[in-house]
Amino acid sequence: MAVGSLPAPRPRARGSLRLGRHRGLIMAIAVFCLLFLIVDWISAGPISYFEVSFLSSGGATLAIAAMGATLVILSGGFDLSAGAVISLVNVVLASHMQDTPSSILLWSLAGIGVGLATGAFNGFFIAVLRLQPIVVTLSTMFIVQGLTLLVMDKPGGMIPYGLTGLLAGDAIPNWLPMPLVLVAGLLGLWWLLKRSRFGVALYALGSDPAAATAAGVRVRRDLFLVYTLAGGFYGVAGLFITAQTGSGDPLVGNPMLLQIFAAVVVGGVRLGGGRGGLTGPVFGAYTLMLVVNILLVLNVSAYYSTVAEGLILILAVLGASLSRDSSLAQHLRLGRAKLAAWGAGSLPGQRQTQPPRLRLDGAAAAPAASQPTGVLPGFWLRHGETLRHALPAYVCLLVVVLVTQLVLGHALFSPKYYNALIVLGSFMAILALGQGTVILTGGLDLSVPWTIGLSGILLTGIVAGSDAALLYALPLVLAIGALIGLVNGLGIVVLGLSPIVMTLATNGILQGLALVYSGGTPAGFASPSLRWFMTGSLLGVTPVVWLMALFVPAAVLLLGRTPFGRRVYGIGNSQRVAALSGIQTGKTLLGVYALSGFCAALVGVLLAGFSGQASLGMGDDYLLPSIAVVVVGGALITGGRGHYLGILGGVLLLTALQTLLAGTTLPYATRAILFGLVVLGAVMALRERAS
Amino acid sequence: MKALSRCAAAGALAMLVAGLATSAMAQEKFKIFLSMSYIGNDWQAEAANMVKAMAAHPSLADKVDLQIQVAGPNAQRQIQQINSMVQAGADAIVTFPISPTALNNVVKNACDKGVTVVAYDAEITEPCAYNVHIDQLEAGRVTAEWLAERLGGKGNIVVLTGVPGTSVDTQRTQAAKEVFAKHPDMKIVAEAVGMWSQAVTRTELSKILATRSWDDIDGLWLQVGCFTANAMQLEAGKKPEELLPCAGEGSNGGRVQMLAADTQVEGAECPYCPLAAPRISYASPPYSGGLALKLAVAILEGKQVEKTTILPLPIVTNDTIKLCETGSWQEMNNGCNAFPPSFVPNPGWFASIFSKETPELGMQAALVGQPELE
Repeated sequence: MAVGSLPAPRPRARGSLRLGRHRGLIMAIAVFCLLFLIVDWISAGPISYFEVSFLSSGGATLAIAAMGATLVILSGGFDLSAGAVISLVNVVLASHMQDTPSSILLWSLAGIGVGLATGAFNGFFIAVLRLQPIVVTLSTMFIVQGLTLLVMDKPGGMIPYGLTGLLAGDAIPNWLPMPLVLVAGLLGLWWLLKRSRFGVALYALGSDPAAATAAGVRVRRDLFLVYTLAGGFYGVAGLFITAQTGSGDPLVGNPMLLQIFAAVVVGGVRLGGGRGGLTGPVFGAYTLMLVVNILLVLNVSAYYSTVAEGLILILAVLGASLSRDSSLAQHLRLGRAKLAAWGAGSLPGQRQTQPPRLRLDGAAAAPAASQPTGVLPGFWLRHGETLRHALPAYVCLLVVVLVTQLVLGHALFSPKYYNALIVLGSFMAILALGQGTVILTGGLDLSVPWTIGLSGILLTGIVAGSDAALLYALPLVLAIGALIGLVNGLGIVVLGLSPIVMTLATNGILQGLALVYSGGTPAGFASPSLRWFMTGSLLGVTPVVWLMALFVPAAVLLLGRTPFGRRVYGIGNSQRVAALSGIQTGKTLLGVYALSGFCAALVGVLLAGFSGQASLGMGDDYLLPSIAVVVVGGALITGGRGHYLGILGGVLLLTALQTLLAGTTLPYATRAILFGLVVLGAVMALRERAS
Repeated sequence: MKALSRCAAAGALAMLVAGLATSAMAQEKFKIFLSMSYIGNDWQAEAANMVKAMAAHPSLADKVDLQIQVAGPNAQRQIQQINSMVQAGADAIVTFPISPTALNNVVKNACDKGVTVVAYDAEITEPCAYNVHIDQLEAGRVTAEWLAERLGGKGNIVVLTGVPGTSVDTQRTQAAKEVFAKHPDMKIVAEAVGMWSQAVTRTELSKILATRSWDDIDGLWLQVGCFTANAMQLEAGKKPEELLPCAGEGSNGGRVQMLAADTQVEGAECPYCPLAAPRISYASPPYSGGLALKLAVAILEGKQVEKTTILPLPIVTNDTIKLCETGSWQEMNNGCNAFPPSFVPNPGWFASIFSKETPELGMQAALVGQPELE
C-alpha cells in the first residue's frame, strides 16, 4: 500500500510560520553562497572584482525578469510573455537609439514603456475581462514575437556605448558594478511596494482571491497593476540585455522563459501564489548562472550537461525545502510509522475484523440507493456547464474551416482536409490527454519535449526498420514513457517538489539520455507497418484516424466516468479536501504523471512513424501548444475544470488555424500575431459564455 | 682566443635556453574551449563530433587541450559561458554563436585579454572575431536560380524557410525571393516555417497539402526537407520519375535519393534509396567547426589567418552526385559525396562534410568523432 500524501500540518505556531515564510529566501541565499564558494574553491585563482563584475552583469537580465515573473506568481498567476517582451524591447532599442544623451534617456524610458504597455495589455484581459493568465500571456507571447520580427527580422543594430557603460559598467570603478546597483535599486522598489497597500493586496490575492475580495481588495485594479508592473520589470530586463549585448537580436529573450521560472522556483517562491518575495528569485537567477561556471570548471561532458543541470536544479530546490515540514520528511515519518504498525500487526490491511465487510456492504448498497431516485435532470442541466466551456472552441473551429474554404478552397467538403486535420491533430490530441490531466490536478508537465524525443529515438533505434521488432519495442517504449512519468510523480509526491521544477529537471535529464543513447545522431527508422499506420490508408482514411476514433471515447470515459477521473477533478479543486475525503492523492498523482509520460511516449512513437525516423529535438515544438490547446478547450489552468471533448476542440481549432496559415504566403511575423489573436479570441468567447 | 671561447660558451648557453624553451612549448598545450549552442539536433551533434575528431587527430592531439561546453539555446548563458572560459585561462575559444550580435561585447572583452575567438557556421559581427562560414546569400540565390531554370521560369512553388529571426534564414530566403521576383510566372503558392528539421517539414507540408494536391505544385524550395518531401510524394502515389524538382538541403537521405535509380547501394530502403530525384543539394557544412579549431591553433602558433573564411558553397547536383564506398577523406577528395545507408542509418545526417582544408576529417569524424588515420 503506497503512502498517500497527507496535507502538511499547517496550523502551527505563528512564529514558525513566519520563519517558514522566510525559509525559502534563506535557503536560496544559502544555496547561492554554497555554489559561489564552490566556484571560488575549484577555479584556478581567487575571484577578482572583474569576475564579480562579469557575474553580476551576466545574471542581471535573468534576475530582473525573474522579479517580474515572481510578482505575477505571487498574485496567483502565470506569465509566459516574459521572454518575448525582452526581445521586443531589445529590438525596439537597437533599431531606434541614437548616440546622444537625450536619445539614450528617451529610448531607455521608451523601452520600459514598451514593457509596461505589454504588461497592461495582459492586465486588461486578465484583470478586467477575467481571462486565464496562462492563455492570455501565451497569446501575448505569440503576438509580441510577431511584432518583434516586424521591427527587426534578423539580428543587427548598434547600441551606443553610452548605454552599455551606464548600465553594464561600474558604479564605483573596481569596487561596485552597476548591475548590482540596478538590481539592488529594484529590490528597494520592491521593499517599498511590499509595505504598501498594494503589497498587502498582492499577497492577499495570491493566497485567496475570494477572501481578498471580501476583505475589500480592489481585485481588478490591483491585478491590472501586477501585470503592468511585471511588464515594467521585463522592460528593464530588456533594456539591460540591450546594454549588455550592445545590439539587437529578435530571438534573444525567447529561450529565457523556462530559465526565468527555474530562477523563480530556485529562489524559494511557491507557484500558486501568496508565498515568497522578489529577493529569492534574484539569488535563484544568479545561482543558475553560477551553474554555467561550475559545469565549465568541472569539465562536464557536453552530453551530460543538461543532466547535471537538471540534478543541480532538483538538489537546489530540495535543499531549500528540507525541513521537518517538508514532504520528504513527512513521507519518511509516515513510512516509519507504517513500518512500526506493520511490525505490530496493526495496519488496517492486517486486521481481520469486521470493517472490510462492512465497507463492502456499504459500497454495494450505495449505487443501488442512488440509482432509482426518479427522473434524471435534463441534458442541459447535466452538461450545460461542460458545453459552455467546450463549445466556443468548436464554434471557432467552424469559423476557421469556413475561412479556409473561402481563402484556399478544398476544405469544407473535402474528406482529405479533415483526414489531414485529424492526422496532424492526433499528436496534440494524445498529448493533451496527458498534459490536460496534469493541468486538471493543478500541475504542469514540462518534460513532454524530451519524453517524446527519447521515445522516438529509442523506438527507431530498437526497431531499426523491422516489423517483428516493433512487437516488443512498442510496449517497451510505452512502458518507459510511463516510467518517466512515474519518476516525475515520485519527485512531486514524495520529494514534494513543484511540478515545474521536477518536470523541467526531468526534461534536461532525458535530453542527456537521448544524446548518450544516440551518440548525437539517432540511428534506425520506423518499421514499414508503423509508417503505414501514420501515412498509409485503411478504408479510405489514414489508419491513425481509426486509433483516434477509439482514443477519444476512451479518454472521455477515463476522465468522466472512472474513479480515477473523479479523483483527478477532486485533487484539482482542492488537494487538501480531496485528501481529507479519503482520496489517496499521492497515488492518484503518480497515476496522472505516468499517464502524461505514457501519452508523450505514444506521441513519440507516432511521430517517428509519421516522419519515418526520429530526430533529436523532435518534441520541442509540442510543449507550449500542448498547454495552449488544453486551455483553449476550456480547462482551468489552476485545476479542477475541463472536459476532454473541449480540449479536443482546442486541438482541432489550433490545427485548423495552422493549416490555414501554412497554406498562405503571409510572413511568419503576421502569422504569429494572427495566431495569438485567435487564441485570445477563442478564450474571450469562452468567457462571454461563462459569465 | 679567450673571447672566442667565451663566445662559444655564450652560444651554447643560448642554444640550451632556446632548447629548453621549445621543449617547454611542446609540453604546454593550448587551452581551447568550444562553446556550442543547443546540442539537440543533428547538425550540432555532427559539428561537435567533427571538432572532437579534429582535436584528436595526431597533428593536433599534443598541441590542444579541448573542452566542450554547451550553452543551450540561450544567448545569455553563452555570454556567461564565454566569460568564464576567459577566466579559466582560455588561449582560444571556438564557438557556434547563438546570436551574431549579442556576443559582441563579451567577445570584444575576450579579445582584449588576448583570447582568440573563432566562430563557425554563424557569424559574430564584432571585428576582432574570426569567422568561418558559407555565404548564405549565395546559397539562397544559387538554389533559387537552379529551380527557376529547371522550371523554365514558371510554375507554382512551395517555400519552406528555416528558423525565423536568424540571419542565416533571413539572408537565404531574401536572396531566393529576389531571384523568384525576376520570374513573374513563378508563383510562391505557400510558405511555411521549416525550422531546418525533417520532422517539422513533414508536418508543415502535410498542412499545406491538406488544401492542395501535389499536382498543383511544380517545384519546391526548402532549406531542409527535400528528403521528406520526396518520401511524401511517393506515399501519395507518385512514381520516382515524377518527383518534383527540389532545391535545398544537404542531408544524406536527400543525396542518396539523387543517385541514378539503378545504383546499387548497401542498406538502402525506400524512401532512403536511389530515385534519381531532381535536386540541387547544399547545406551549411558541419566541418566548419573542425576547421575553426584548426584555424584557432594556426592563429595561436602565430600564422596569418584571414578574419573571415568564406567556405566554398558545397553544391551537389544530379550531375555531380557520386556514392562513397568507405567515406575516407581521400575518397571524398576524388569526388564522392553521398554515403551508403549501411554506414549512415540516419537519413537526416548532413552529408556536406568534405573540405580540401581538412584532410583530418572523413565520414568517421562526423559519425563518431574519429579522425582520419593514416
